[in-house]
Amino acid sequence: MDSIVLESVSKVFRHRPALFNWMGRERGGETRALENVSLGVARGQILVLLGPNGSGKTTTLKLVSTMLLPDAGRVLVQDADTQSAPNEVRKHVGFAVATERSFFPRLSARENLDFFAALDDVPRRSRPARIGAMLDRTGLLDAADTLVMKFSSGMYQRLGIARALIKEPSVILLDEPTRSLDPASAAHFWNLVRELPAQGATVILATHSFHEAAAVGDFVAVLHQGRLAGYRKIADSGVEELRSFYFHATGELDEAAHLASRSWR
Amino acid sequence: MKITQLLDKTAAIIRRDLLTAIRYRTGFLITAAGAAAELAAFYYLSRAIGSGFRPDGVDYFPFLLVGTGFYTFLVMGINAFLVIVQGAQQTGTLEILMTTSTPAPVLVFLSAISAFAGNTVQLLFYLGAGLLLFGAPLHANLLGCVVIFALSLTIAVAIGILAAALQLAIQKGSALVWLLGSGAWFMTGTLFPVATLPGPLRAIAQLIPITHSLDGMRMALLQAASWGALAGEIGFLALFSLTLLPFSLVVFSYTLRRARLQGTLSFY
Repeated sequence: MDSIVLESVSKVFRHRPALFNWMGRERGGETRALENVSLGVARGQILVLLGPNGSGKTTTLKLVSTMLLPDAGRVLVQDADTQSAPNEVRKHVGFAVATERSFFPRLSARENLDFFAALDDVPRRSRPARIGAMLDRTGLLDAADTLVMKFSSGMYQRLGIARALIKEPSVILLDEPTRSLDPASAAHFWNLVRELPAQGATVILATHSFHEAAAVGDFVAVLHQGRLAGYRKIADSGVEELRSFYFHATGELDEAAHLASRSWR
Repeated sequence: MKITQLLDKTAAIIRRDLLTAIRYRTGFLITAAGAAAELAAFYYLSRAIGSGFRPDGVDYFPFLLVGTGFYTFLVMGINAFLVIVQGAQQTGTLEILMTTSTPAPVLVFLSAISAFAGNTVQLLFYLGAGLLLFGAPLHANLLGCVVIFALSLTIAVAIGILAAALQLAIQKGSALVWLLGSGAWFMTGTLFPVATLPGPLRAIAQLIPITHSLDGMRMALLQAASWGALAGEIGFLALFSLTLLPFSLVVFSYTLRRARLQGTLSFY
């Protein structure tokens, strides 16, 4: 049975220009972020979303998390519809957003996690131990009592991951989780993600990294201009196989491969 | 949601706000100094005007003390809702807060309770300083004060939720607070009695709930008014509470859903 289901989902962002638009010439019209996308992720699986900037990866994650509601189609999380039962959906979902600006700057890492854990109904008694363990798993234990406004980008990213996992959700959404991490921290994180299905969690991870996709994913979905351009099992696919699948699906030119081949000549 | 969970969430929000406030040390001290300077200014203003001016039958200084103190309390409380939503949009926490297991109206409501708790401390400090330092007389019907306070608080919460909804809808909830802060203060009897205003403005003033809050609080706190004398103001405030609160919750839920559909939750 699928933990996450997207059925013919479409999402459009409409731009309404300001009053007296001749002064600033703001762009009007609309952006079709997702168009008729259908996907399913089985319980305990890791789906990797690949796609160029603006292809709809973050929009997909936001739709699953209830941050956004679809214009057409429906999104189900553990059988609960994000439109009609958003509170039920939120009980299941942990979302690590890519932005650093999502914490209270004058609270420490531990205080931030405690605050969000309280809002997510993590029992008061188990919070300190769980927060300590999560800070340890994300390599933030030494910075636990530092105000987060003093954090680096990588530390914010790790704290975001800790926040998403603190309530032990059954559905975990990760938006470019290793974007600001150094290679060793990224590898450590991939190990952490690989452990999640064993705990019964279903994961959607959006990334631009083929290495990350190959390291953690069970399946990959390629989004291009809001449409599902490709979907396959990753299994033992290597990075080059995934790269070739991606560029074939999107129809984009693989300039990196082109440059690499030139440098060998 | 269980009551223990609700209390736990309330404690978490109050703790967050308290920790944030005390870590802005200078701001806390400046606010206290500003309130003290305002009290002194009102005291000398009332002395300059003289004891012959007794609006609504009370000395001018206590009239000002209750009017400005309670008005500021209500408007700051209303503003708190706006600041909570606006601040969460600017710090980027709004979207992530909206994905926690706590329903959005509950979250906004609990955040406002925390803000009102802080404002209540400020109000008590302000009134206490006025009474102790400048010797304002007090003849209170304390239970009447509590009833007026509770009803006024409910109305402030309702208007605050409307301001938060406006912030979500058009990113300019400050317009409503500005209207209350600058357009309405002179019509609600904060600095002088409403009776001084011309007829049409007096009629509009009666439609603003804060007018009845200030009148009621002055009567209960300074004149120990009986329940019979307070009945009119309590009736008005109860009517405003019963209509405004459900209305504001419906509007907030609608604008939140609209923001989720349009993807404008984090716009500011």
